[in-house]
Amino acid sequence: MDEFIEFVRGGPLGPIKKWGTKWSLWPVHLVTACCGAELAHAFAAGYDGERIGALNYGIARQTNLIIVEGAITRKMARVLRITWEQMPDPKFVIVMGACGLQGGIFWNGYHLVKPSDVVPVDFFIPGCPPTPEALLRGIRQLQFKIETGEAKTSATFPEISLEAGRKPRVLPRPPKKISKAPAVIVNAPKEVDWEFGQKLVEELKAKIEAKSVTITGKNRIAVKVESDSITKTAIRLKEMGFDHIKNVNVIDVPNEDKFIVEYHFSSYSVKELMPVIVNVFADIPRDNPKVKSLANMFPSADYMEREMYDFFGVIFEGNPWMGRKFLLAPDAPEFPLRKDFKLEEEVYVR
Amino acid sequence: MMDIINYLFETFSSNMMDIPLIAPIVDYLMKIPVINVLVALILWKPFFAVIIMPGLGVLVLYLLYVVWYERKLTARIQWRVGPLEVARPIRGAIQALADGIRYFFQEAIVHREAHRPYYVQLPILAFIPVLLPIMFIPAGSAVGIYTPYSIQLIVTFIALIPITIVAIGWAANSRFAYIGSVREAFMYFAYEVPFIIAVISMIFLYGSGDAYVAVEKQSAIPGALLNPIAFIVYIIAMLMATSRLPFEIPEADQEIAFGPFVEYSGILFGLVMVLAYEKLYIMTLLFTILFLGGWSGLYCPLLGDLNGPLWMFIKTIVVISILVIVRSIYARYRLDQALRIGWTSMLALSIAALVVGGALGVWLS
Ligand code: SF4
Repeated sequence: MDEFIEFVRGGPLGPIKKWGTKWSLWPVHLVTACCGAELAHAFAAGYDGERIGALNYGIARQTNLIIVEGAITRKMARVLRITWEQMPDPKFVIVMGACGLQGGIFWNGYHLVKPSDVVPVDFFIPGCPPTPEALLRGIRQLQFKIETGEAKTSATFPEISLEAGRKPRVLPRPPKKISKAPAVIVNAPKEVDWEFGQKLVEELKAKIEAKSVTITGKNRIAVKVESDSITKTAIRLKEMGFDHIKNVNVIDVPNEDKFIVEYHFSSYSVKELMPVIVNVFADIPRDNPKVKSLANMFPSADYMEREMYDFFGVIFEGNPWMGRKFLLAPDAPEFPLRKDFKLEEEVYVR
Repeated sequence: MMDIINYLFETFSSNMMDIPLIAPIVDYLMKIPVINVLVALILWKPFFAVIIMPGLGVLVLYLLYVVWYERKLTARIQWRVGPLEVARPIRGAIQALADGIRYFFQEAIVHREAHRPYYVQLPILAFIPVLLPIMFIPAGSAVGIYTPYSIQLIVTFIALIPITIVAIGWAANSRFAYIGSVREAFMYFAYEVPFIIAVISMIFLYGSGDAYVAVEKQSAIPGALLNPIAFIVYIIAMLMATSRLPFEIPEADQEIAFGPFVEYSGILFGLVMVLAYEKLYIMTLLFTILFLGGWSGLYCPLLGDLNGPLWMFIKTIVVISILVIVRSIYARYRLDQALRIGWTSMLALSIAALVVGGALGVWLS
């Protein structure tokens, strides 16, 4: 923030303050994303940021520089703000990585916040991730800003006339046909040489009132059931030796007005069943997405059901966590992975 | 008025450092009125010992040196360069000065939960036990206050330091500070008993708590060879007491973020950060007197009275530089391990040292 630069440079003691602050920009340990690896690199043997007086140090109270390392999620924004407010004035912020600029690979994501909305930023370093040289140059540039009082970009681009550029590339031709209603097929059958599988399918067919039982690959079986018989199916599978749920998954199919809920069963205790994964799935209506929870019977399903509620709003009846956010930040928008979820529009300000 | 000045001048000039090297300048300055009082004051032995060498003036230089040296050495061991660009021709030796200035002009936050008056006072109060021993540490003929019990006095003041640190942690009133001060109190229990027993064994050996007697008895063989067990115990206790790395348990920045000092910022943090270094300085001065022959060394006639303080300073700096290496090559012990070391092997060693010291002391006298 410019008032800090003014403070550092102003007053009769200005030159001393300026010199001291310039050579002692200590970043606080606040690693937010993968750019942190590059920060570590910049301060390790090869590049050694300590040369220019920057030392990664303890906590916010004893430092005067925040290097925001890449993506800031909604949850992390709070942490960033707290860290910034705990830091004694004068303090500076450098943002590294494409994520901190415009979102980078998470551009326009529902969970992303721009660091410049949270704290006042002195310098941005583009790149995904920026190289250690770029990071050190950013710190160097901040030193120059403290020294001279004006912020300058360190990158200069040569001016090239438009004609000198390459010819426009020929775009690839579009695919011939795009289906209007792409179907999601969970149980596409596949011919495999798997004898035990055939036996298992027979056994499943006998025990479970399934709509269909298909082999979808070696060691993979898909079982389609009615949504209200999932619990019954689970009991049967447990009797057969499938003792845990590996995964709970929801697929949104808006054009057919349904969700597909999948439970992947497997076994830790029966030797032959260990590599086998049985996918029990059911369609549920999109306007009333309710299904019985399996969390009581298979505790491993609990967290994944909560997560699916976070993302899709499918209510697993019997799971006590329904209706609350589990992994997402409390202020995150509702059900961001539904296909009809509207992203916030990018607003460009001149 | 003149009488007072004359009286002061008489007092100062009767007990001045005699340094042949700068004698012509001093003689010249002594002829000018007013300035001669100042010169006499600076060269007055008690003043010289407390304020200049080995006292405060050199202490400040030492702080600048040791912070830089520590960072530089750690960097070299990790294949880095360390602080450099701040002053290239002298290899960045004034890095600590830049950091100090930056701390000085940063905001000093006093958070809401702190016990406010104590929180602000304690970093300054903590300097009393750290700096008072300098009054009693003699260096050659220069000594602030001469007492035959100087070694006991110094140990007493050193034993007071952890209390201020625990109080700092309590005043900060945050959970890391709390854990840090509890750890500091535990470490205090771990090293204090062996440390005091080691010093007592040396006092037995020399037959007196007088630093002059101790140094004189070492004129042939240094104390480190007379009683090597006490020597070892003292070194380990010194590492524990100043929370240097194998025993950097109270401050442990990776786990509890500088323990008792976690909430301090700005100049207050600058003050508490140097506490451990100053404690190290005082303990090393005592170490030099007890084990390394104090201020005795090659006598250079040109330096006259300055020989004592200078040798003392050189020995201290060498010992500290060696201790800093320990910091950058060892990992940290756990609290329970440190306590176990303190109460088993170190206690046993210190009692053995006591026996050796007592026996030698009887034999020598
Ligand atoms: S810019 Fe690239 S490297 Fe940095 S946080 Fe974003 S994705 Fe990770």
